[in-house]
Amino acid sequence: MKKIAKGKRPIYFDDAQIDKLFAIAMALAGEVSVLRDRLDTIENLLESKGILSVTEIETYQPDEKVTQQREQWRSAYLERILRVLQQELETFN
Amino acid sequence: MTTQFPHAMLPQANHDELARQQFIQSMKKYIFTKMAPGNKLLYEKVAKPKFEREHQRPPQNRFEIKQVMQQEPNYKWWGALMRINQEMLWDAVMTTVERQLPELVEGAKDKGGELGTLTVDPDLKIPAYQTAVDIHCMPGSYYSEFTQDDVAAGATYDYGTYVYGLGWLGPLNDDMGLSVVENYLKPYPNFQPKKILDMGCSVGHSTLPYVDAYPEAEVFAIDVSAPMLRYGHARAEAMNKRVHFCQQNAEHTNFASESFDLIVSHILLHEIPTPAIRKVMSECYRLLAPGGMMIHVEAPQYQHMDLFTEFTFDWQTSNNNEPFWSAMRDLDLGQVIALAGFDADKINQTFIPNGAWKLKTVNANSQQGGLTSRGNWFIVTATK
Repeated sequence: MKKIAKGKRPIYFDDAQIDKLFAIAMALAGEVSVLRDRLDTIENLLESKGILSVTEIETYQPDEKVTQQREQWRSAYLERILRVLQQELETFN
Repeated sequence: MTTQFPHAMLPQANHDELARQQFIQSMKKYIFTKMAPGNKLLYEKVAKPKFEREHQRPPQNRFEIKQVMQQEPNYKWWGALMRINQEMLWDAVMTTVERQLPELVEGAKDKGGELGTLTVDPDLKIPAYQTAVDIHCMPGSYYSEFTQDDVAAGATYDYGTYVYGLGWLGPLNDDMGLSVVENYLKPYPNFQPKKILDMGCSVGHSTLPYVDAYPEAEVFAIDVSAPMLRYGHARAEAMNKRVHFCQQNAEHTNFASESFDLIVSHILLHEIPTPAIRKVMSECYRLLAPGGMMIHVEAPQYQHMDLFTEFTFDWQTSNNNEPFWSAMRDLDLGQVIALAGFDADKINQTFIPNGAWKLKTVNANSQQGGLTSRGNWFIVTATK
């Protein structure tokens, strides 16, 4: 099946590349929403089966180890997402 | 919000596909409730005063409004979101259809014992005005075929229209036909058409109410698109409704003259250029028996709107691949229909309440009798 509609696509912003960025951002927003719904389904099912309650999730206190692991994960995550901002700085090394 | 009626031909979304489609619906609601009102505000407070300072008068047409609005960031963001939302809609719907396409194609094939018929014409030429752009940004538009005995465009349209409209046409997508039947035809019980034609029927969602309203009548439904008709035929069969679907161009059909009592169309007119509308009206005149009636359902015309609303409506023309939208909404339909041969005093342009489907789903014991209609359908009718 076809993916793209035939016909010139209008340009809304001063730079057509910004239009593309915006479309990418909205598609990502959509996927976050899909993930969230799937997670919500899992939480609801776990709760209805008596395995895990939403309250337990809300009141979960990560221990020292988990907290540290998460901070390390987030640090690497941000480096990965904002990698391109390091591009110019790399040339000084 | 009600859910779409799950007839046997309707594609079924899986968990994540549905979540994506619901995101797109929520995004649409956001655009309409949080972004669109800003356009009107912007116009009144910024753009219109700017124009008035420059020209010593307010904008007099939608082109002048566009001149001042198109520079405004909020309007640009609104437009960009509208277009992205539309593209995401079809992408999400077609994902669902594509996953099930082999089963849908198989399910649409006749098994024997069908109530109605399907006549496909492989030699029918899709008009050039249909192939220039993909209408309402639906990839492949109405007519493209991706496989043998294809029904993809029909499945995409049936399922997608429901998602697009947030279910506003009802669980069967039939509000247009149903509202005509309930709010225009039923008040005239002496009018009992024997042969009915639905022009530009696509998947037959607007056709079926006429089958129910006139059980003794023969109902025909035509469209230029084979995948729409194949799907529509299977859909009607799945719901036990007898319809004769044929692949024809409403500008020029092969039916005998004066062979129909009632001819209808539903949001067909804005999909075709003015010369084609003229031909459709002439064809209606030829096909109608004396005393017969035609009813064409549409969204309102520009003469029915204030200038700013007209300007907002016009967005569809250049932003949503609706090339004939504004030309049709500017058209003097009364004049076009008179030129086709109908008497001027037998032509009527009016509004009927929409939402007839809601009354169908209200429980007989419910306290909610007499639901107020939230809007109208514009109809142009003529009798021969």
